[in-house]
Amino acid sequence: MNLTRGIQNSLKKNLSLEDALPTRMPIYVNSMAYLFGVITLCALVMLILTGVVMALFGPTWYHFSPAGRFVNSMHFWSVQVFFAGIIMHMITKFFMAAWRGGRWITWLVGGLAFGVGMFTGLTGFLSQTNWDSQWIATQAKDAMNAAGIGQLFNTMNLGQVLMLHIVVLPLVICILVGYHIYQIRRDSPVKPIPEDKEKSKK
Amino acid sequence: MSERSDENLKGVPMKRYDLVREGLIVFGVTFVLVVVLSIVFSSPDYPTVKAQDVANDQPVAFLQTSANILAGNSSIQTYGPPYTNDTGNAQNLVGIAPATVMGVTDPINPPEDFVIKPLEKAAVINPGITSALSTFQAASSDQQQTWLKNYLAALDQATTDSTGKVSLPGGDYGPVEAMMNGMLALGKSGLLEGALNNSSQLPFNTDFTNALLFFEDDVYHSVAEKLDMLGSLWGISNETGQYPGAWWLWPYTFFYQIPPMNSSPNGDLQVVAIISVVFLITLFTPFVPILNRIPKWIKIYKWIWRDWYKNNKAG
Repeated sequence: MNLTRGIQNSLKKNLSLEDALPTRMPIYVNSMAYLFGVITLCALVMLILTGVVMALFGPTWYHFSPAGRFVNSMHFWSVQVFFAGIIMHMITKFFMAAWRGGRWITWLVGGLAFGVGMFTGLTGFLSQTNWDSQWIATQAKDAMNAAGIGQLFNTMNLGQVLMLHIVVLPLVICILVGYHIYQIRRDSPVKPIPEDKEKSKK
Repeated sequence: MSERSDENLKGVPMKRYDLVREGLIVFGVTFVLVVVLSIVFSSPDYPTVKAQDVANDQPVAFLQTSANILAGNSSIQTYGPPYTNDTGNAQNLVGIAPATVMGVTDPINPPEDFVIKPLEKAAVINPGITSALSTFQAASSDQQQTWLKNYLAALDQATTDSTGKVSLPGGDYGPVEAMMNGMLALGKSGLLEGALNNSSQLPFNTDFTNALLFFEDDVYHSVAEKLDMLGSLWGISNETGQYPGAWWLWPYTFFYQIPPMNSSPNGDLQVVAIISVVFLITLFTPFVPILNRIPKWIKIYKWIWRDWYKNNKAG
C-alpha cells in the first residue's frame, strides 16, 4: 500500500486546491451571515498573536508596562470579538439548519470548539494575576470540586491554569477549528432550504 | 474541484470569489476594531487584594478571619473532598457525589495550615509568639474554644486607632490575643502569603491555593459585593468596572439565580449538571426533535438567502 498515493487519492476525492482556496463560490453564498465564522477565525488569529507576545514577556508583564497593558487590552477585546463572532456564527448556522446533507459532524466539531473556547476563556480570567483571578479562582473551584474534577484541575494553581491557557487549550482549539474548516471546505457550503419542499409539507 | 465538490455543487450556479482577499479584508477590519477598542477603553486590571492591605486597612476583619479559621469556622473546615474527609458535605445529585470518587487530594487542616504553621514560622523571628503557641497547643480543645469565643466576641467591640492598633476590652483570651497579634504582624509585614504557600520546590511555587483560600470567606465577599461580582449578581460572568465580562457564561450563571440552585447546598453540582445537558443538546441539535425543526418554522433562512429565493423561485 502506497501511503502517499492514498493521501493523493483522498485529497483528489475530498479537497482539491480549488476547494481549499476557492476562486468560485455558489451564488447563494451571498449574505452577512457568512461573515461571522470568518470574524471568529480572525479574532482567533488576533488572540494567538497577542497571546504569543504576552507569553514572550511573561504573565505579569502587562501590569507594569504600558506596552504590555496595550497588548493585554488587544487580547481582552479580541476575546470579546471572538465570542461575539462564534455565538453569531452558531445562531446563523442554526437558523440555516446548516447540519443538513451529512454536515452534522461539522456542527458537532464547531460546538466542541465553542465549549473548549469557553474553558479557555475561564483559564484566561484565572491567569490575569489580578483581583478577577483571585475572586474567580475561589468561586469557580466550587463547581469544579462539586463536579469531581477539582482534583484534576485546581483553579488556584496558577502554574497549571497558565499552561492550560497558553499551550494545551489553544492547541486543542486550533486542531478543532482546523478540522472544522477542513469539513466546511470539503463539503461545500450548505444549500438553501428547498422552498417547494417546505410548501408541500404544509 | 474534488470529486465530492463536483457532486455537491452539480448544477449550482457559481460566481467569482477570492477567499484570501475576503479573509484579509475581514482580518483588517477586526484588527482595526480591536486596536480602537484597546486605545479607547484599555482593559480591566483591578489590583489584587493582599493580606498586607487587609491587615493595614481592615485589621479587625483580618483578626476575625484568622480567629475564625483557628476556631474551625472557615468554610474549608468541613468542605469535603478534595480538601477534607467530610464526604457527607460533598455536593451530591440523587445521592451521587462526584467529588468523593477521587477523594482528598489536597488535604487542608485550616487551623493548622492557615494559622499554626504560619505562626510557627513567624515565631522564628518573633520569639514572643512561641510561648503563646505552646500555651495554646497544650490547652484542651474546650479551653481553646472558650478563649477563641471570648476573643471573637471582643472583636465586635474592638477599637482601632489612627496607627491601626486594635484595642480590645478586657477579657479571658488566654494566648489567643498574642497569637492573633502575631498573625496581624505577619500580615502587615507582607510575609503571610509566603508563609501560607508551602511548596516542596521552594523557592519555586506556582500553586496559590492556601493563600487564596485564607480570605475567600468574608473578606473576598465584601470586596466582590462592592464590585457587583457576587454569585447572586451573576458572579464570574461580571467584570470589574464597566467592562464587558465573560458574558458568554450568562446561560451558566443564570441557573445560579433561580430556585432551587440559588439556595441549595448542592447548587454548584445542579448547575453543572444542567449546563452539561444544555451543552450536549447544543452539540446534538441536528438530532433533537422539535429543536431541529425550529429553523424551518421560524424561516430566518429566507432572509439570509433572500437573493437566492428571489432569483430561484422554484427553489
